[in-house]
Amino acid sequence: MNQSEFTRRLFMRSLVGAAGAVALGGIPGLSAAEMEELKFWASGVAKVGGRNWDAMSKNSGVKLAVTTKSARADESIQKMVVGDGNKVFDALTDNGGGMEDALASQKAIVPLDTSKIPNFKNILPVYNEGGAAADTIRHKGKVYAIPYIANADSMAYDFKAIGFHPDSWAVLFDPQFKGRVAMQNDFGPTLTNTAIYLKQSGKVEIGDPSNMEPKEVQAVCQFLIDLKKKGQFRTFWDGFGNGVGILASGEVVLSSCWEPITIIANRKTGDKADIRYGTMKEGHQVWNNVAMLTRGGRQRGKDAAFYKLANLYLSPWFGARTLAGLGFAPQMVGVDAYMKANADAFPAAKQKEANAYLKLKSKRYAIKGNAWQNVFPKNLRAYQDWWARLQAA
Amino acid sequence: MPASPSIWQRLTGENGLQKWGFYVPLIFMVLFFALPVALTLVWSFFERTTFWMEPGFTLFAYESFFTSARAENYLFSMMHSGISVIIAFSLGFPIAVFVRRRVPQVAQHRVILLFILPFMISELVRVFAMRPILGRFGIINNLLMDMRVISEPITSILFSPTAVVIGEVVSFLPFMVFSGFLAMEAVEQYIFDVCDDLGVGRVRTFKDVIVPLAAPGIFAGSVFIFVNGLGVALVPTILGGPGAVNAGLIVNQAIVALDFPLAMATSAIVIFTLVILLYIGHRLFDLTKILQPIS
Repeated sequence: MNQSEFTRRLFMRSLVGAAGAVALGGIPGLSAAEMEELKFWASGVAKVGGRNWDAMSKNSGVKLAVTTKSARADESIQKMVVGDGNKVFDALTDNGGGMEDALASQKAIVPLDTSKIPNFKNILPVYNEGGAAADTIRHKGKVYAIPYIANADSMAYDFKAIGFHPDSWAVLFDPQFKGRVAMQNDFGPTLTNTAIYLKQSGKVEIGDPSNMEPKEVQAVCQFLIDLKKKGQFRTFWDGFGNGVGILASGEVVLSSCWEPITIIANRKTGDKADIRYGTMKEGHQVWNNVAMLTRGGRQRGKDAAFYKLANLYLSPWFGARTLAGLGFAPQMVGVDAYMKANADAFPAAKQKEANAYLKLKSKRYAIKGNAWQNVFPKNLRAYQDWWARLQAA
Repeated sequence: MPASPSIWQRLTGENGLQKWGFYVPLIFMVLFFALPVALTLVWSFFERTTFWMEPGFTLFAYESFFTSARAENYLFSMMHSGISVIIAFSLGFPIAVFVRRRVPQVAQHRVILLFILPFMISELVRVFAMRPILGRFGIINNLLMDMRVISEPITSILFSPTAVVIGEVVSFLPFMVFSGFLAMEAVEQYIFDVCDDLGVGRVRTFKDVIVPLAAPGIFAGSVFIFVNGLGVALVPTILGGPGAVNAGLIVNQAIVALDFPLAMATSAIVIFTLVILLYIGHRLFDLTKILQPIS
C-alpha cells in the first residue's frame, strides 16, 4: 500500500467511521483499590483528562502507576535494552517511528494477543492491510504495539504577517523571509522534511526521505548549510516552550513544528497574530505513537491489565477526547459517531472544531510525498556527522 | 612484653581515626573524579554497537570528533566561553574589589550574599528571561526605537553568539564576584593603605598590586565560568542561533544517537582541555594559594 492509500484511509475513515461500532466494552466498575496496577512509563500526550491519569484509570479499569517519560527515544532504548526498564515498568509508550522494531528486536517488548483487546476490531483498517502504517505496530509480522495518536508534521505560519496561505516548503527557504524562519533543532524531522521538499520538487534525487543514503544526507545538509550561511534561519527551536515562544513573540513568521505548538502559540498571541498550520504539497513527516507491553510486564503477569489499557486506547472515548483536546488524530473508527452520540461532552461547536482538525489532517495525510518518521535510519552516523557540519556552518 | 594492638585498635587507636580522616578526601577524589575519568577514557576507545558499546580498542570516536565539524563547534564554544570569562572579569572583579575596599566590613558579606539571589531562581528561567529582553520586539529594541536611535529592530542580538555570551555572563557572573571577593579577603587593608601613602594611582594599584595578589581567585572564578560555558547546554539552546552548540550539547547529541563512545571521547577531550588549563593556571598562579591567607 502506498502512502496516499494510507493517508486517505487513515483519516477519512475515522470521519465516516462505522456508527455505533464501538462501545467502551469491558470497563468494569471497580474501585481503585480493586483495580490491578500497571506500572506505565508514558509521555504526557498518552492521556486525556486534565492533569492526572485518573480518568484513564477509571475508564480502563486499571490502576495506572505512571512515570512520565521525556520525548527522547535514546533514553527509552537505553533504559529498556541495557537498563532496568523491564524490572521497573510493565508497559511503555514509544518516542517515534522505528522504536518498536528496535525494542522488539532486543526482546525488550513482547508480542500481543489482539483477540484479548475487544476494540482492536475498531483499529483503523490501514493497520491491518500491510504497508507502512501496518509496519509501525508490527515486528516480523507479529503485533507488538497499539497506536493511540498520530499526526503529519507540517509548517506553522502567521497569516497576518505573510498575507497568504503557503502550500509548499519552498516558502521556508524563500529569501524574502530571510531571518524570519525556524526549523526544529533535531536532525530527524528537519532533514526528513527538507528531503521531502528536495525530492518532490525535483531538486535532488532521493530514494526514501526517512532513510537516506549518506550522499543524500550530504545533499540535504549542504542545501541547509548554504541557506544558513545566507542568514535564512533565525534559529533551530528545541522543546515545546521554545517552539511556542518564537512564534508567539513574532521572532519568526514561518516554522516547521508540531501542530500543538501552533494551537498554543495562537492562544498566546490573541489578535496580534493568526498562526495556522499548513498543508505542504510536497509532503510531511508522518508519525504515530504506540503503547507496548514490556518483557518484564509479561513475566509479572500484567497482560490482562495491559489489554484493558490498550482497549481504552482503541476506544472512541479516547480518540474523540485526544482529538478535541490536543488535535491528534484518532486511531480507531467511530469517533464521529461517538461525538454525535455524546453531545453533552462534545457540543456542536466542539464537534465542528474537532472535525475541522480532522479535515486538515486528512488533507495532509493524503499527500503522496509523505514519509514515515524513522528515529533510527540505517545511516545514522552520516546523519549525525552532517548535522554537526550544519551546526558549525 | 606488651601485646600487639588489634586491627580495630590500629584503626581507631591513638590518632587512628584522624589518620583515616586524612584519607577521606583521597577516597572522595578516587570515587568521584579519578574513577569516572578513567572509565570515560576507557569507554571512549570501545566499539559502538547498535544500542550500547562493547570492549575493544578503536580510535573511531576520536576520528569522528576531529574529522567532522564537532572539533570546529568545540573551538567556537571555547572561544565564546573565553570571551564570557573576560567580560565577567571586567564586570565582576571590580565589584568584588569595590565591596572589599569601600563597603563597611560588617556589611561586606551581606552585600556579597545579594549576588546569591539570582541563583535562587532556576537557571532555565534566568536564561529564558533574556529572550524578551534581547528579542526582535524585546525591551532593548523597543527602548532604542522609542529613543529613535534605530528605526528597525536589531536582530543580531538574540539567536546569535552575542546572545550566548550575554547569557553566559548573566548566568555565571556571580562565580567571578564570589571568587574575586574571597581572593580580596586575603589582601590585607594595609596593602591598600601603603599604595595610597606611596601615591600609587588606582589603575596601577589595580594592575600591579590587586590583580597579582588575587590572581589565584580570579583564575578559579574564570575556570568555573569557562567550564560552565563549555558544558551547560541551556544557554546555546535557548539563546544561540540555528544549531548553536557547546561541548555539553555535542555530548548530548551523541547520546541521543546512542553513540556512547563518541560521547565519551568528547567528554575525555573536554577533561583533557581543562586539565591542561588547570596545569597552566597552576604554573602561572600557584593555585594552592587560593586556600592560603596572604602573609
